[in-house]
Amino acid sequence: MLTPAELVWLIAAVSKGDEAAFERLYVATRAKLYGVVLRILRRQDLAEEVIQETYVKVWNSAGQFNPAVSSPITWMAAIARNRAIDIVRKRGESSIEEEPEAMDVAAETPDPLARREMSEELKRLLECVGRLEPDRQKLVLLAYYNGWSREQLAAKFGTPVNTVKTWLRRSMIEIRACLGL
Amino acid sequence: MMAYSEDHIALAAEYALGTLDADERVQVQTMMSVDASYAVLCEAWQFRLGALNQMVGLVEPRADVWERIKAAIAGPAAAPAMLAAEPQVVTPDSAEATAPALASEIPTPEGQASAPAAEPAGEPVAVATRRAEPPRMDDPDVIRLAARVRQWRTVANAMTALAAALLAMISVQVYRPDLLPNALRSKPRTQVADVKTPPAQFVALLQKNGEAPAFILTVDAVSKSFTVRRVGAGPEQGKSYELWLVSDRLQAPRSLGVIGSSDFTTRPALSSFDSDTVNSATYAVSLEPEGGSPTGAVTGPIVFSGKLIETVPAADAR
Repeated sequence: MLTPAELVWLIAAVSKGDEAAFERLYVATRAKLYGVVLRILRRQDLAEEVIQETYVKVWNSAGQFNPAVSSPITWMAAIARNRAIDIVRKRGESSIEEEPEAMDVAAETPDPLARREMSEELKRLLECVGRLEPDRQKLVLLAYYNGWSREQLAAKFGTPVNTVKTWLRRSMIEIRACLGL
Repeated sequence: MMAYSEDHIALAAEYALGTLDADERVQVQTMMSVDASYAVLCEAWQFRLGALNQMVGLVEPRADVWERIKAAIAGPAAAPAMLAAEPQVVTPDSAEATAPALASEIPTPEGQASAPAAEPAGEPVAVATRRAEPPRMDDPDVIRLAARVRQWRTVANAMTALAAALLAMISVQVYRPDLLPNALRSKPRTQVADVKTPPAQFVALLQKNGEAPAFILTVDAVSKSFTVRRVGAGPEQGKSYELWLVSDRLQAPRSLGVIGSSDFTTRPALSSFDSDTVNSATYAVSLEPEGGSPTGAVTGPIVFSGKLIETVPAADAR
């Protein structure tokens, strides 16, 4: 596993068209990004397609990466996750669950880095999520990790969609206040 | 960043969380593409929440994914296509390029010289997404995959396991309800959000001098119904916001009605106009006496305006 500083260096090289650096960047980050999008898309073909698009975008816009505002992996994961969420929202709710290839992600390997150390950012964020009421903690985490829509969350929690909407909004405002933003 | 309303900030946060619906995502992406500082706000939320990905385990994609990526970056034709397919590309450059003076001028009925066609606002912003067909799964890996699928399905609730694990951690380590300030326990806000927004095919950001949008107008090209979503508009204070269609094809601005005080206002009022008029018009909001203009013509100041931009290619419409 490369350090964030090494990844920053690789992205800088990629922005100059260094294909070897791009391959090293891919090798170092692909499993994390694939893990993130597979949870949301739950289909191998769609998840692979998102990974492909993500790395093409990284190749094309590496020069826009700003190490002052995020770590390389956070930047790349945001690109990948965004794309995955766009796809599940466009496809509608039912279609993915019913696909024969729909899969769970039990086969994933825990990220050794995550086991070893939790970043300060994550600790701080979890502290703020932890101050939400228990149901809302679950709501926020399921929304983030599984990419669930309001409708799916409403079904899970047995509440009207509008209630979920209100909860989500208030949860984010509370997290913001807790983070001191 | 302080300039944004709580509504804007909540929208950015929910965009990052992923819970907005497809239309709302397009709206946020449109706002990001025309407002660089709003893009920064949205990205900041994405990066902030991105810390959660540290807990996501690793899964190896198949080897041929790398081959496909290499092929995609090798072909010179591939790069622009991929860029166009990415809704969240927001660079200062592209933001400037796609941030025309959407709101700067209202052509008067006489002012036909200010040809709308010359304005870049009519061009599709790169928020449209077009995906290639998913790859066929007719290779030998399918068999192996089928086995893995069966194996993975046996742990049916693995999707929620990570959330559950984190929750356990939270409740042991950091969940202290006594720390929750009473101020954060305010009553749930009742939202007027029953209105289903139509498929977003054309969106106009109604704003003033390139400031953060006050309203987002969404027009469904098929039904010609429109939805106005209130995002940053201040309270009317005894007046009413009235929406107008301004077109050089018309003698005078036509009222599309008073914008309600709820989050959404939806109306079919555009059905009497032809598509070209709808698509090329400027949409303006004036501040009128309560209940709307008494004369049927604009009487108050124009406070916000904008033009429609295409956000979803017709082929992609549902």
